[in-house]
Amino acid sequence: MIIKHGEKIASPSIIQQAFEKFGYICSDAIATAVYLSCQLQKPILVEGPPGVGKTELAKVTAKYLGAPLIRMQCYEGLDEAKALYEWKYGKQLLYTQLLKDQLGDVMRGARGLDESVERLHTFGDIFYSEQFLQERPLLQALREPEGAILLIDEIDKSDQEFEAFLLELLSDYQVSIPEIGTVKARSKPIVFLTSNNTRELGDALKRRCLHLHIPFPEPALENNIIAAQVPEMDEELRRQLVEFVHELRQMALKKVPAISESIDWARALLLLNVSQLDQKWVGDTLNLLLKYQDDVEIVEPELRKLLNSVNK
Amino acid sequence: MQKIYADFIHALRQQGLPISPAETLDALRVVELLGPKNREQLKQGMGLVLAKNVNDKLSYEHLFEQFFQFAETVEGDSAESQSVASEPYADQASKADEDGGEAGPSPQSELGQLLMSNRAGATEVAIAAAGDAEDIQNMQLFTQKPLYAFRMMNRMGNEALNQELSELDASNELADRRLAAGLRRAQAALQEQLRDYVEQQYLLYAQAKGEQLRENNLQAIKLTNVDYQYIEQMSRLVRKSAKRLASLHSRRRKTKKRGLLDVRKTIAANAAYDGILFHTRWKSTRIEKPRVMVICDVSGSVSRVARFLLLFLYSLQDVLPRTRSFVFSSDMAEVTDQFESLDIEQALAEVMAKWANQSTSYDKALADFSELALKDVDQKTTVIMLGDARNNNGPGRPDIWQKVYRQAGRVLWLNPEHINSWDSGDSIMASYRPYCSQVHSCNSLRELERILGNLLKHS
Repeated sequence: MIIKHGEKIASPSIIQQAFEKFGYICSDAIATAVYLSCQLQKPILVEGPPGVGKTELAKVTAKYLGAPLIRMQCYEGLDEAKALYEWKYGKQLLYTQLLKDQLGDVMRGARGLDESVERLHTFGDIFYSEQFLQERPLLQALREPEGAILLIDEIDKSDQEFEAFLLELLSDYQVSIPEIGTVKARSKPIVFLTSNNTRELGDALKRRCLHLHIPFPEPALENNIIAAQVPEMDEELRRQLVEFVHELRQMALKKVPAISESIDWARALLLLNVSQLDQKWVGDTLNLLLKYQDDVEIVEPELRKLLNSVNK
Repeated sequence: MQKIYADFIHALRQQGLPISPAETLDALRVVELLGPKNREQLKQGMGLVLAKNVNDKLSYEHLFEQFFQFAETVEGDSAESQSVASEPYADQASKADEDGGEAGPSPQSELGQLLMSNRAGATEVAIAAAGDAEDIQNMQLFTQKPLYAFRMMNRMGNEALNQELSELDASNELADRRLAAGLRRAQAALQEQLRDYVEQQYLLYAQAKGEQLRENNLQAIKLTNVDYQYIEQMSRLVRKSAKRLASLHSRRRKTKKRGLLDVRKTIAANAAYDGILFHTRWKSTRIEKPRVMVICDVSGSVSRVARFLLLFLYSLQDVLPRTRSFVFSSDMAEVTDQFESLDIEQALAEVMAKWANQSTSYDKALADFSELALKDVDQKTTVIMLGDARNNNGPGRPDIWQKVYRQAGRVLWLNPEHINSWDSGDSIMASYRPYCSQVHSCNSLRELERILGNLLKHS
């Protein structure tokens, strides 16, 4: 990655302040991770529960550094053809059909099989050349002349084979394509890998990355985040909301509300002109925070107690 | 400076964090970039490269605090004493001299001089140096603490100091006596400080080592002999090894895009394209994961092992999702659903309460099995029996086991007793043995892991 403005990544605190301007409030650990990743040219593996801003971190970094963001969503069955490159089969087919006559011309007058093959060899590998190569996100990121931010989202959803395939890319920033050769990065991209921990990633992959774990934020930090995202909200209501969500996270729920959900909830409360958290409004909008009926049923009887502790 | 970070990483490894040399180098580069000024930042930065999962992060943070508590004072003071030309110390020392009597005698031994110089930083540096010289990182057991303290004291020149003290005592000069008393006080303080240091080093390096030693022993120990107090630790180990098996073998095996070109199918698939080979078809070999049925004896005779076997069985469901589990004392019951729906503690408690610790009857159990599941046993099924074949002198219905053997792909019998005690007393291993593909004596965690690892590998 060519950083056009070296001063932009001069220290973690500069990064932290700049991210704040983009509305991404981050902890010291996150800023340090981005700083080290830029300086050491190492990928960051971001883990944490869903909705704490893992993907957002890559987006805001791209915006800040003014680099293109190339995103690759992982899923079961993802392979090289979809991640790295593919041959444009249709084009190849079409061209062979169109060139049939030309091929006939070339071959005309050739004596014996040996000579025909000899003439064919003079063509070289036209059908497996750059013109027929379909770039996929990984190759695209390597070939970006000024470097890019590569976001490999939810790596834990991909297969183990794919993880192994990524190793060469992540440590040397190069990949081997059998027909063309090794493609080296023109300028090393900054790589973000995110994982929800649905399965344990391999040690080899972890070894090559900086490991950043983003937990649910402390109430004070979350307060700042919501203030940045929903600035119109009343300060007292915001405090109540943050505390309420914090209390919910202590309960044994199937899925506890993440930051993204608190932001959604804050927007909804604003839209509904709620000035104070009361049982009716919370009960009505609880499905914004909790995504399972089981969880709603656990929380509903506790609402009064929760609100009392928040409102005092 | 580097030595301190290397020691820190050594301590982390002792705590069980898997840190590779490459990561060590990364950590040193991080230190270079961030500098030691901002402690919190450094802690986070090094955490990014050294601790790679949430549990490791916790122990990393704990150890960082513990480790750099001492190292900080050593580093800080030695740096200061070098850079500030130690003027304030010189003042203090001269004041101390005045207190101790005007132009009184000064100690001759090296350690005495050090103690009387009144520089706290210097003594700590000396302690750390003595610790290094005695290889304190290699301390293994808590009983070694006094030994290390003694050796370090000697390394610092305690003998010479004692010699000097006795000489001073012999002298009649008041100043000499006073000096001796002062030295004694300083010596006692030093001893105290040294003991603290050794204690701290023990916590850093050796405590985890003791744990590792115990874990290794527990893995090899006979399951029947595991002490009750270690059961907690043991169940953690069982889960750990089941997880290891899971991560080794849970790879999805797919060979769709690779393999041999299937010429016949490729030509057929491309007939529509005027014979131009547009779509390729590959010959692939699909490796089927085994369908496993595990039958676990939980009767009185194997009650001590049964808990672990069940524990392992439970954890195994992560590795082999299509495992059906059965338990029996005399009646057999399928517990697959319990294992799937309940968490481990609840499931085990329920199974143990309902079926365990009754008298064994293989006759009844096998008859039940033939009703419950015999029709589902086919060539792809592996049947594993965990039991001691002690049948209270009943015939044992080997005919049913024979049927199972005929129908199943493979039949394994894991007996928790040693092979010498098979067929002794009421054990009727001999009548089942002909109808097993493999029989193993399996009485430690390590063996269990090895056998099941093989099962998974060759499936």
